[in-house]
Amino acid sequence: MNDALSALRAIGLDVSGITPGGRRLVVDGGAVEFVLARPSDIATYVERGAADLGIVGKDVLLESEARVVELVDLGFGACRFVVAAPRGAMQRSLDEYRHLGTLEVATKYPNVAERHFRARDIAVEIVKVAGSAEVAPLVGLADWIVDLVATGSTLRANGLAVVEEIASSTARLVANPASFQLRRQEIGPVVERLAAWAAPR
Amino acid sequence: MEGPHTYMNQQNPVGPPRGFRDILPTEARELGVIEQTLAEVFADSGFTPLHPPLLEFGAVDSAKPRRIQFLDSDGNLVALRPDLTTSVARLVAGRYRDMNGVLRLSYIAPVFREEPPMSGVAREVLQAGVELIGGDGALADAEILALLAESLERCGLSVRESTVQVGSIRLASGLFGILADAARGEILRALREGDIAGALSRAREAGMPADHLERAARALAGGDGVEAEADLCRVIDLARERWPGKDKRWGVPNLGLVPALPYYTGVVFEAIHADVGVVASGGRYDLLIGAFGEPRPAIGFAIDVLQLHRALFAGAWQPRSQRPLLLLRASPDERATMRCAATIRGGGMAVALGDVVERAGRSVIHAEVVDERFVKLDDGPVAEAATLGRDFVP
Repeated sequence: MNDALSALRAIGLDVSGITPGGRRLVVDGGAVEFVLARPSDIATYVERGAADLGIVGKDVLLESEARVVELVDLGFGACRFVVAAPRGAMQRSLDEYRHLGTLEVATKYPNVAERHFRARDIAVEIVKVAGSAEVAPLVGLADWIVDLVATGSTLRANGLAVVEEIASSTARLVANPASFQLRRQEIGPVVERLAAWAAPR
Repeated sequence: MEGPHTYMNQQNPVGPPRGFRDILPTEARELGVIEQTLAEVFADSGFTPLHPPLLEFGAVDSAKPRRIQFLDSDGNLVALRPDLTTSVARLVAGRYRDMNGVLRLSYIAPVFREEPPMSGVAREVLQAGVELIGGDGALADAEILALLAESLERCGLSVRESTVQVGSIRLASGLFGILADAARGEILRALREGDIAGALSRAREAGMPADHLERAARALAGGDGVEAEADLCRVIDLARERWPGKDKRWGVPNLGLVPALPYYTGVVFEAIHADVGVVASGGRYDLLIGAFGEPRPAIGFAIDVLQLHRALFAGAWQPRSQRPLLLLRASPDERATMRCAATIRGGGMAVALGDVVERAGRSVIHAEVVDERFVKLDDGPVAEAATLGRDFVP
């Protein structure tokens, strides 16, 4: 959020009306109107044309498969989708996979997890959780997890190690496909300035 | 006796499955007007309607199927057709195997697509489209592009400059021509998913030089100041000759237009409306028929009729008004009532005996039977049944 605000400020948009954590969610910014929303809702807003442009993580786009146009990689908000397993339990997991033919994987990102394991031809049962997947192996809910990590410290604190990286993610400038074509006059300069802002990073 | 509550349970739900909806008479009447107009426009360019079947054979995908498919009682995996172009391609490769000439085929029919729950997207889409099979070159491309513009115009949608975007898969792929085939394939896949940023960063990774990269980025972003490829402009200029001399510029070159459907090979286009989004899309698909038999050049488009209807409505559109309906109250002489109604219909006026609650926006006139030859209009004089049709011209 703060990175997004400084990017918008850097290209000369008036973001003074936006207070992170504030109650006003639709904010007048002069030539543009800002809408503040949860990341996964931003993809929906833009996909359905409620907003013309959005700033949202690639992680959200991968999970939601929203039909939007990804215009600029803004570079901030870096994180990775990883498969993680209890440290030292790799051999046990693989034995179990051979024995039982399937592994249980807890995740907040079932679409990303399912696509990944299908592509690797590994049979898994996905267990969807709403938060804190990293405790799942500790409490015996699942063998592995698929989670989004920035530094990996949460994984380490829970005795987990990265088995494999699935994808890396950064914030993206996205547009509604129809708006991008029809409102090019208005959208174009914003896209160009954000691209120029992101380029040297 | 079953009470009304039984309609609320799972066995007897009152509404259709998610993503499907009832189209009630008012909307159905309006859609009928649009469909009739489109059928006329298609016929005026020599396209002849056909009806592919609702079911085609399904396919086992590694990805999540976008088809609604199931096993029939023979044990075959069958799918509700997800689009008509593929059905027409299959049909042409089989039934027109030995006829090498040009085919002009059109359809107005629903297609079905699986969509994730709670995404607010319809699973049934009504499409009206044409396929020109055997037509090749800029002239065929321009004819189909002009026909799309004309179809929208004749339905009442004003086609402004940015409404029709024209791209080219061949030219978009050509922007990355110096890269190896494998990298170019990945880049095209990213573009089909709308991931322009990802496509460009993949090109950078694959070693594309900075000046090429810069040119590709500008071409994909489109907009003013981008010099469009001559081939593309030629098609657009030719298509605009449909309304010669008119200042109206309605096609915009845009290489960033790479539709999600994988079968396009050449020119592609999309009609976009500010309020409802994509109204129609199409393009050249020279290899699709080859998947079912001998390859043949082909180009076509499909209009999403429900989206077009919404776009027309956003512009305060009114369907052509219909003849009013005469609601005729019977006289005690039932034989005279029947004869009177027949006489009125014979004179060109629509008649219903009694009343009707769902009028679907149609205007009605009330009258009572006097005898075989005369009716008493509720807000007027006694009138002759045979000449009523002349008095109420719409």
